[in-house]
Amino acid sequence: MSIEPLNNELIKYENIGISFDNRKILSGFNLSIKKKQKILLRGKSGVGKTTLLKMLLGFTKPAEGILYFHNRILDSRTCWEARKEIAYVAQDTDLGEGKVKTLLDDIFSYRANKEKLDHEKLQIFMKELELKGNILDQNFQELSGGEKQRIGILISLLLNRNIYLLDEVTSALDINLKKKIADYFLAREDLTLLVISHDREWERDWIEIIDLENKSWETPKPNSQTE
Amino acid sequence: MPTDISYTSLIFCFFLLAIPIFISWKIRLELEKSTFEAVLRMSIQLFFAGIFLNFIFDLNNGLLNLAWVGLMIFFASYTAIKSADLNVKKLLVSIILAIAFSNLGVLLYVNKFVINLENLLDARYLIPIAGMLLGNTLRGNVVGIGDFYKDIKRNENRYLYSLSLGAGLYEATRPYLRKNLKAAVKPTLANIASIGIVSLPGMMTGQILGGASPLVAIKYQITIMIAIYVSTLLSATLSILTSFRTAFDEYGLVNKDLYGKNT
Repeated sequence: MSIEPLNNELIKYENIGISFDNRKILSGFNLSIKKKQKILLRGKSGVGKTTLLKMLLGFTKPAEGILYFHNRILDSRTCWEARKEIAYVAQDTDLGEGKVKTLLDDIFSYRANKEKLDHEKLQIFMKELELKGNILDQNFQELSGGEKQRIGILISLLLNRNIYLLDEVTSALDINLKKKIADYFLAREDLTLLVISHDREWERDWIEIIDLENKSWETPKPNSQTE
Repeated sequence: MPTDISYTSLIFCFFLLAIPIFISWKIRLELEKSTFEAVLRMSIQLFFAGIFLNFIFDLNNGLLNLAWVGLMIFFASYTAIKSADLNVKKLLVSIILAIAFSNLGVLLYVNKFVINLENLLDARYLIPIAGMLLGNTLRGNVVGIGDFYKDIKRNENRYLYSLSLGAGLYEATRPYLRKNLKAAVKPTLANIASIGIVSLPGMMTGQILGGASPLVAIKYQITIMIAIYVSTLLSATLSILTSFRTAFDEYGLVNKDLYGKNT
């Protein structure tokens, strides 16, 4: 339990360190994320961006430091809650083998997602993401990289969660789609966003940019948040 | 009684091994050593098994018979985990329980209701049938549990993605369970379907050589094939499900030390 008073702080990385094979790649990382905040994580590959996201889902444990979610330490109990509140989209969504439709039905048969599959919404989102109607009958493994990426985004939208972790989700898409998707997510005021992307389409004057290479979290600009 | 094979004539059987040795040497399969080792191991194991079984059959004590089957179950479980290259310490208890429950359950059912034995623990029935069941379910268990965990490891991102979507442990592992249980029993099913045409199975051959009528032998064969199928699927399913408690950590991730060095 956190000693701090209740606040609208949703996620807090406190002195987080990450190591790979006993090699430290990040240390003393601090970041506090409030509800509805939008954050863009940057830095070249290998600095631990993806690991920071996966940590929130309990897929890796921090080598040092503490991660809070809803003011509670993220541990083997709370991570299961986090997984039901957070929508995570990876760069290369891997749904498994079989028809897209079957795989989608599988996901929405989970107890946490029951009755979340709104077929009307599915049609709307598919159209917006420029996915053809027959894609549901295709084998997931036979889709192109860009299609797989959009299926990942589609699922996250259908899940209708409040927190989105988006890890290079537009990398394989054309410029129009990149822009459309970034615009959509950034315009959703109700969402808390933690985005990793090298695409310019995600940049805004008002979005908070955390650069892991320059350790920008250590010297926060006083006016970095103007909302 | 079938004609006995004298020890000197058994040597003629070993002569046959000259063929694989020759092939191995000629094409450099490098199987000479493993051939000798395998045959030597088999001969020693069977030699002792023969002596023990003779002793046990003479005594025919129910508890002793059961203890012998218990020992067979222990070795079957140990071999299954070893062959699947998984952590023996972590899995042994759950696999023993799974294999014991399914094999003994099916075995006693067959003895009671199909063969209608007075003494369910009669050595002449209990031990050979247990041997047939265990020997045949072993492969299914190795495939089932071994490939189940290898599959999750190979598709780690896919597995983590299901967890991130809110799946519980059973929900996230369901596709792997489905796929690998199917793979575990498919050969048994194929085997069942081909029996009588392609193959004359060992048990029938044994019974016919022992003087039984083929019509009796086929009834036993049908019984044993169904028993094998049931216990294969049951023990593979239970092995995987009971292993969850020690194989996964509280985060739903596979314990890193579950896998052997070669995985």
